[in-house]
Amino acid sequence: MFGFLKKVGDYTRDAVGAANYLTQGLAVTFDHLRRRPITVQYPYEKLIPSERYRGRIHYEFDKCIACEVCVRVCPINLPVVDWVMNKATKKKELRNYSIDFGVCIFCGNCVEYCPTNCLSMTEEYELAAFDRHSLNFDNIALGRLPTSVTSDPAVVPLRELVYLPKGVLDPHDVPDTAPRVGKLPEQVLESLPSGDAS
Amino acid sequence: MLTTTAPGLDLEASFEQALQGFGLSPAAAHLLWLPLPMVLVLVAAVVGVLVNVWLERKISAAVQQRIGPEYAGALGVLQPMADGLKLVFKEDIIPARADGLLFTLGPVLVLIPVILSWLVVPFGQHLLISNVGIGIFLWISLSSIQPIGLLMSGYASNNKYSLLGGLRAAAQSISYEIPLALAVLAVVMMSNSLSTVDIVNQQTGAGILSWNIWRQPVGFVIFWICALAECERLPFDLPEAEEELVAGYQTEYSGMKFALFYLGSYINLVLSALLVSVLYLGGWGFPIPVEWLASWLHQPIDAPVVQLITGSVGIVMTVLKAYLLVFLAILLRWTTPRVRIDQLLDLGWKFLLPIALVNLLITAALKLAFPAVFGG
Repeated sequence: MFGFLKKVGDYTRDAVGAANYLTQGLAVTFDHLRRRPITVQYPYEKLIPSERYRGRIHYEFDKCIACEVCVRVCPINLPVVDWVMNKATKKKELRNYSIDFGVCIFCGNCVEYCPTNCLSMTEEYELAAFDRHSLNFDNIALGRLPTSVTSDPAVVPLRELVYLPKGVLDPHDVPDTAPRVGKLPEQVLESLPSGDAS
Repeated sequence: MLTTTAPGLDLEASFEQALQGFGLSPAAAHLLWLPLPMVLVLVAAVVGVLVNVWLERKISAAVQQRIGPEYAGALGVLQPMADGLKLVFKEDIIPARADGLLFTLGPVLVLIPVILSWLVVPFGQHLLISNVGIGIFLWISLSSIQPIGLLMSGYASNNKYSLLGGLRAAAQSISYEIPLALAVLAVVMMSNSLSTVDIVNQQTGAGILSWNIWRQPVGFVIFWICALAECERLPFDLPEAEEELVAGYQTEYSGMKFALFYLGSYINLVLSALLVSVLYLGGWGFPIPVEWLASWLHQPIDAPVVQLITGSVGIVMTVLKAYLLVFLAILLRWTTPRVRIDQLLDLGWKFLLPIALVNLLITAALKLAFPAVFGG
């Protein structure tokens, strides 16, 4: 008899506990209803990529010395450097340069090692194409600059979470002038005692 | 309980009277009347589903801090229509080795009992298709046809996942039918009638205070849990379990046959919510009895305008209560984790069934002890 009562008691406690957890959970989900959506309405709103975003690679033909360092540091030897040796001047003459972004993994090694800085990363990430071969960019295509999110009139640029002012979570109504949370590297340098800067 | 309910809006009588005024025989007038409420309720059920799907998508989005459908109509209200149209135009595929007849019959057998159950859903004293004497029992017996359809479609698909899904769905439906029926039985015992209209009338004495939820709180919870399980809503959507499994008995279905399952499950949800509001939340009753309001405003309750207003308030209240419950179901969907199949059957047989039995016995005892409060 006593064992049975204990069982009933345990049963009831379990049920009450379950109901308690359930109401707590419901309170959480109900509270979320009044929060503003955190999603970015993509084609109409876009996040501003961070400064060191590794997007499509930009290339300056005139700076290139055809040293092929980019090919050697590339994990898959991707850049195609098409040059011929000019016998008369004894110099390399660059004819074509191309990178296939259907294969590129955007590791940034080529940009890192390029001795003349003719390669650089852009913030372009919209590389969708109907044909994968159209992602094989030649030196003309590589030389084009992408449209910046901030200068595109059809797009509302939104700041990423870490670039928002302190305590702000919603990027929608933040003025351009509002400073981001924390300090920029140059501000950190300024705040240091002058002796340490060396 | 001595509750003299107002005669209420009787559209049937007025309609037939009007037709007889044009010189039609009473039988012909009745024949002309018959299809009207059926079509109306069918339309109401389908519109209810569209609203339900829209709510589901919007509330789900809000809970997950998204926006949800936005471009199909204002605030995405046409999204469910777009979903439905897509399914209508999809190719109707019957798998090569499947049993064509059973495969087609399955979804039909799932949908028809659900739609038929709308027969007994009252929106007012006379605002239902038919005041069947065994109303709520009719609903319970109709809903036990559904597992046959589920099993049929699972078996006929000739796919092991479908078969397993069908078996699980049938097991779930059958095991939750029993506590559901017991919870309903307690309510029926208090109102001395199986008719849904009588059950609501029994709750109209003192507005919100006389609703069954105060006398049957445990029964309400049991009924709601079982209704969710019957509708295969989260946390009991094991047969489908979209994130984890192949889609159960729906695996081989596409196009309109899949749409029938989809429609069936949503109509069932709306229906369950309506029946919860009928059984436990006073049906069409306003939280303050309309008779009191009318007497405070010195209006005769029998005046046509007052009748019209009470009728509309009744419909609005029924729908409002039902959709509050639908809202709760959607919120629960994003709150609770899915139970395992053994937990599901444990909950049904080892928890809800004994509790429902005890609830029934206590209700019977209370009815004997306090016949004035618990319906002598």
